[in-house]
Amino acid sequence: MDITWGTPVFTAIATVLPQIGFNSIEQTSIAAGNNIYINAGVSVNVSVIGSIKGSILISSTLDGAMQFASKMMMGMPVTELDGMAQSALSEMGNMVCAYACTVFSEHGMPGLDVSPPTILIGEGATIMVPAPQTLTASFTVDAIPLRVCVGLT
Amino acid sequence: MGKIKMMIVDDSVFSRTVLADTFRRQGYEVVGEASGLNQLVETYDCCKPDVVTMDIAMPGADGFACSQALLAHDPAAKIIMISSIKDPASEAEALRIGIAGYVQKPVEEEALKRVVEYTLSPDAPFEKLLQLSAEAFKESLAQNVTRLTKKTIAFSSQDAQDPPFTSQGITVVIGIIGNYSGSMIMDLSEATAAKMTEAILHHPAKDHEEILSMSGEFANLVAGIACSMLNKLDKSFRLRVSPPSVVYGAPTEVVSPKLQAHSINANSDYGRIYVSVGFKKGSLLWT
Repeated sequence: MDITWGTPVFTAIATVLPQIGFNSIEQTSIAAGNNIYINAGVSVNVSVIGSIKGSILISSTLDGAMQFASKMMMGMPVTELDGMAQSALSEMGNMVCAYACTVFSEHGMPGLDVSPPTILIGEGATIMVPAPQTLTASFTVDAIPLRVCVGLT
Repeated sequence: MGKIKMMIVDDSVFSRTVLADTFRRQGYEVVGEASGLNQLVETYDCCKPDVVTMDIAMPGADGFACSQALLAHDPAAKIIMISSIKDPASEAEALRIGIAGYVQKPVEEEALKRVVEYTLSPDAPFEKLLQLSAEAFKESLAQNVTRLTKKTIAFSSQDAQDPPFTSQGITVVIGIIGNYSGSMIMDLSEATAAKMTEAILHHPAKDHEEILSMSGEFANLVAGIACSMLNKLDKSFRLRVSPPSVVYGAPTEVVSPKLQAHSINANSDYGRIYVSVGFKKGSLLWT
């Protein structure tokens, strides 16, 4: 995988999250890896189709995902990942990945499209990403841990 | 209900005549014509069409500018772009403006009729997709099990669970993109996947990775063939599938919040195969 393909997605995180209520987005690490990704608790999976294909995973722990959803819902308490919280996370995944497609287009890769998000809830599950190599960045978003895995080929 | 009333905007007399003849053959009434921005709104107000067709390349104000003027006058106007120009930039601009449908010249009569009907009943194509997809994915699943393993499967409607669901062991997620986007989720137990792999390879899988790989490839075949069937039934769907993501190793709940999904439960000699197919409501009427 071309490591520059991570940039549009990480740019989208830094651009979109402030628009939906987050104040501090800090990228703490980035690493290349294989196609195996361990779910920390909750992962939003978005498929990408076009001149490059694969998937983007945006994930956190279950607690982190609930805090994330709560923040998106103007601080409403979230004590379980119910339908409304799932919908908020899904919307975030959709916005980030759609924005990433726009950035890809600006960098000479037009025509990418994304599927509606699927949420995978299960700590410790292995997700085999449909790309031989991935790029994973860790973020701290208003003190909530967030990991973003980009697997495109 | 009376005849559907059409108005044609095109600078070419020849094109207007051809389109008008086509619409009349299809049982529509052509109530007005305009050659461009001049008299566009006046003609629209006078003839009160149900649908306006719009050329793009016209002298002075092009089809996009004319459409913007008409939508500013009547935001409920239903406009179908009919042009030989149909590239991603033009389609994106049409979408941005609020064009309801887009048909490329030379016009294929059946495609034009479908877009006109869908423009007037925007939920119809989505309902059609939901209805057709249930059968297409069932048929594709049955075909692929039979072709690859020489065994048949039986469908059970009584114990089909509605999404969300918790994985039996291996879950494959495939994104679907087109004029309607969605996803297919296939779920089966490790034991079922191992037995299917053995049946397909005619020997036991050499390792766990081979079982996972078979699960992903099998799901990809089912989704790809089902989407091809749907595209043949209605070319405007334009469905394509993403490569599969495979989830395993811990109980996982799978949720697709934005989709209207239906479930398929299949019982085979190898065990139960669960498939959930869902699509997101959209409003594109392109051909």
